[in-house]
Amino acid sequence: MADENWNPKIIAIICNWCSYAGADLAGGARIQYPPDIRAIRVMCTGRVDPLFIMKAFQDGADGMLISGCHFGDCHYLEGNYKCAKRMFLVKNVLKNIGLNDRRLRMTFVSASEGAKWGMVMEDVVKTVKELGPSPLSEYQK
Amino acid sequence: MAEAKEQPRIGVFICHCGTNIAGSLSIEEVKEYAKTLPGVVVAEEYQYMCSTPGQSIIVDSIKEHNLNGVVVAACSPRLHEPTFRIATQEGGLNKFRFEMANIRDQNSWVHMHDWEGATSKAKDQVRIAVAKARMLEDLEPKSVPVEHAALVVGGGVGGMQAALDLASAGIKTYLVEKNPTIGGRMSQLDKTFPTLDCSQCILTPKMVDVGRHPNIELMTYTEVENVEGYIGNFTITLRKKARGVLTPTEAEARGIVGGGCNGCGDCAEVCPVIKPNPFELGMAPRKAIYIYHPQVNPLLYTVDFDSCIKCGLCVTACGEEKKAIDLDMVDTFEQVKVGTCILAIGYDLIPIEGKKEWGYKRFDNVITGLEFERLICASGPTGGKLIRPSDGQIPKKIGFVLCAGSRDNTGGVAKPYCSRFCCMYSLKHAHQIMEKIPGAVPYLFYMDIRSFGKMYEEFYYRIQNEGAKFIRGRVANILEDPTSKNLTVYTEDTLLGRPLSLEMDMVVLAAAIQPKPEAERIRQMFGVSKSQDGWYLEAHPKLNPCGTTTAGIYLAGVCQGPKDIPDTVAQAEGAASAASIPIHIGEVQLEPYFAQCIEELCAGCGMCVNLCPYGALDLVERDGGRQVMEVTEAKCKGCGTCGGFCPGGAIKMQHFTSPQICAQIDAFLLEGGEQ
Amino acid sequence: MAESKHQYAFFLGCIAPNRYPGCESAAIKTSAKVGIELLPLKGAGCCPAPGAFGSIDLNVFYALAARNLVLAEQMNMDITLICNGCYKSIWEVNHILKHNDELRDGVNEVLKEVDMEFKGTIDVWHLAELYYDPKICGVDKLAASVTRPLTGTKIAVHYGCHLMKPGKERHFGDTENPMWIDELVEALGAEAVQYRNKMQCCGAGGGVRGYDLTHSLDITNEKLINVTEVGADAITEVCPFCQLQYDRGQIEIQEKFGKTYGIPVLHFNELLGLAQGMSPQELALDLHGIDCKPFLEKIL
Repeated sequence: MADENWNPKIIAIICNWCSYAGADLAGGARIQYPPDIRAIRVMCTGRVDPLFIMKAFQDGADGMLISGCHFGDCHYLEGNYKCAKRMFLVKNVLKNIGLNDRRLRMTFVSASEGAKWGMVMEDVVKTVKELGPSPLSEYQK
Repeated sequence: MAEAKEQPRIGVFICHCGTNIAGSLSIEEVKEYAKTLPGVVVAEEYQYMCSTPGQSIIVDSIKEHNLNGVVVAACSPRLHEPTFRIATQEGGLNKFRFEMANIRDQNSWVHMHDWEGATSKAKDQVRIAVAKARMLEDLEPKSVPVEHAALVVGGGVGGMQAALDLASAGIKTYLVEKNPTIGGRMSQLDKTFPTLDCSQCILTPKMVDVGRHPNIELMTYTEVENVEGYIGNFTITLRKKARGVLTPTEAEARGIVGGGCNGCGDCAEVCPVIKPNPFELGMAPRKAIYIYHPQVNPLLYTVDFDSCIKCGLCVTACGEEKKAIDLDMVDTFEQVKVGTCILAIGYDLIPIEGKKEWGYKRFDNVITGLEFERLICASGPTGGKLIRPSDGQIPKKIGFVLCAGSRDNTGGVAKPYCSRFCCMYSLKHAHQIMEKIPGAVPYLFYMDIRSFGKMYEEFYYRIQNEGAKFIRGRVANILEDPTSKNLTVYTEDTLLGRPLSLEMDMVVLAAAIQPKPEAERIRQMFGVSKSQDGWYLEAHPKLNPCGTTTAGIYLAGVCQGPKDIPDTVAQAEGAASAASIPIHIGEVQLEPYFAQCIEELCAGCGMCVNLCPYGALDLVERDGGRQVMEVTEAKCKGCGTCGGFCPGGAIKMQHFTSPQICAQIDAFLLEGGEQ
Repeated sequence: MAESKHQYAFFLGCIAPNRYPGCESAAIKTSAKVGIELLPLKGAGCCPAPGAFGSIDLNVFYALAARNLVLAEQMNMDITLICNGCYKSIWEVNHILKHNDELRDGVNEVLKEVDMEFKGTIDVWHLAELYYDPKICGVDKLAASVTRPLTGTKIAVHYGCHLMKPGKERHFGDTENPMWIDELVEALGAEAVQYRNKMQCCGAGGGVRGYDLTHSLDITNEKLINVTEVGADAITEVCPFCQLQYDRGQIEIQEKFGKTYGIPVLHFNELLGLAQGMSPQELALDLHGIDCKPFLEKIL
């Protein structure tokens, strides 16, 4: 499927108040995980426009992670619910265009869950590696 | 300065952070790489970018190279974004022309053994940050006025202290307590370690001060129903539970001059309903109309409408002059506006009957530390006589099980953390029984004795010298003799290396503590997170232990984590000080991440209006009858939920615009990004 | 006669058939009356005894237990048994080998020599838990099968150690004060009495009886004191080894310590047999060390 040296390109869009803080906490605790994910910070996962996801896959991303607060804990009350609803929609779209929808994942990591962030990182990279490079990555460059 | 089509001139500044970053990836490579990025005119490195010389490098560089954007690759923006924004501003730029690449907390610290991987990731992170920096714009922070009032939730010693400090600083303070009286756990204690002060005695003056202070509005038997708003402008809806009893003020408002409750107690004398008194942990009765104990503040009786049978005997006993009882009273709601809030809601004990091996609730003579406090307290259910629940006899051999349910990883009701004050109160209990009961011998079954505070170790020596027995080992099992109801404690003396079984007249479990059941609902209302151990999450354990990540909300006392009375009072004072600052300054600056409607693109569909959790969006009419959306900036918190939705791309989320985010995505994936 | 809807391969163990054969015959006949058919597990060997074998060589322990499991796999039938010790060996090894590939491969290397392979296709149940499970039998159905209620008797239930513990690895719930076997006993019309320290070991297992008889009897003695204290007419258990320890143990305690208790010891299946009308002869109660007459007089 992929050559031995293939490193997946995975983008994470994470919310400032919970998941970004949780990721920082993982750093503080020196929890080690694979370096294949690049994070983009937003204030709330409610900010995530399906456009961003489609653009990322169009650009050749192999995987995408959206991570926010647990339901009930959103700093802005409901942004994470709205994001989750959008993610269901986007996953359907991805399936319909022939991309394995497991390439897009939404997780919920709170500011105190550094260890969980480490596990999420490991699992996302593992999943994407199993799925192989995105079929769209060949169309870039 | 801020023209839309100006050429980007970005400076990239890379921090070594000592060896924190430099030890895991190649700063040199990242710096050289940064220089190749479109728009970057200078790349510098330094040991500690956040230091004064480090910041000077940024300031000088902005001027020297005529930069219009700054990228710092270092730690987390959650830590130093404010620091570097100020440096950016000192260099002469608008402070929002700054972006950070987190190459420490989210790179060098988590990829410590992958030099190549970490370096490659750092280059990507810098490229992503530069892509956004090229598109940043000038923004002005918005100032909002701060309401000159504060809210304190919880009327224990922490809440009371915080309220007193705020009130003394001239701030109107609403002190809300869900029970009919203030006082909290400290009222339930007999003596306090290490001074052996009488708890209620030292608390009463504070309770009186709270009741008397002109700036404190004491609202007991009241709960927080809803919270809206943001720092400086919280609107709190309070549920004033129906007490069934009128205060003198309320009576007067109804035209009963000289009426209202004066705490005489005539009503309780005639009430036919008897219920367990929760203040006495169910060990003493109260009536359906009751006060918890004689020192309550306010001194008002309360009707427990769940058990009141509405016989009306109390109304008759109260009489025509006071007419203080209204059995038809219902809950009412009141709204208050405050600038800041402090949460001080305290704790509960774990349901220790869940640790079945110790027989709590199965064996009469196994009690908790809090029940011991009530039994040994002179104003408690036995008048201060420590007696065995099974037969009323005075126990001589009393076992104390320390760490009962604390420092315990076996799940269920047990907690992995240390409850912090149980070692000390167990020593205190040991002292009290040796003092009060001639011939009594306390046996403390411990894992460690944590006597960490001021004069605590000395207290430990004292109790050892007074003759308490200490056995280092966990209690595996407790069995009850069916006739005598004595208890056999099975443990291990780990210092002697052998198992041990001892017969006790009574056993006291120093049960672990946990957050109250309502803590979850309250924290979600105020927007406070939960730590991994379940207590409220502070903004930073060392640098900001009284604050939370939600601006304007502060924490005091055990609700933030187990602590004793000195630490609770200290934290309450800290929280009050922090909470008073925005109020005294009078205004607070909000980050200008507001939504903006690009009217040319807005179709006026109005779907974004319902998405906003703060009601900050409205549809308005423009010339020609066209409808477009308009943002009320004062209400907008910048979450971006509307911006993430608008199908026409008509909503611009400032500082997190869609073009900026797309540029970041493109920069990473297309290596170099689009210009 | 209830239709035999539930079939199991019956693992006998060693002590029941050799010392208390009444337990074996009772198990088969009483189970049939509540719709459980026990079929012989031909060729089964020692479980192997967990305390004795497990302490000396785990590889032998796993291999011998696996062999018994494979015999049931070949019958395509779940195993049921009447002994806590056998439960520990057979249930635990089944569980471990199902989840640990490395151990399973090692065991299958050994089993290859006798043309066997452990596949992990069956489950293991103690007969008492089948009686308690409403999907198989249930307390009510058990009570309905009783023709000679044991009214007027007080019975102390000994749960033993290896069935329910370690609590974290088993599925039986509360290990500090369980009541489910008490419920089964009460379904027979008897009164299940509570006594001090009911979860303490009988003293036999873990190799203790074999290694240090005096200390094991010391433990048994304490249990007998506690049981006598509440006026029990008999002790019941679900493990022939516990039965041996209490039954022969009382004779040994009389010899070594000079104390006499004379309290009859009956396996739950023997009690069930009596309650369903089987005779003491059918249950071979005369083979017991301690005379069961005082108990029988109350119910016959």
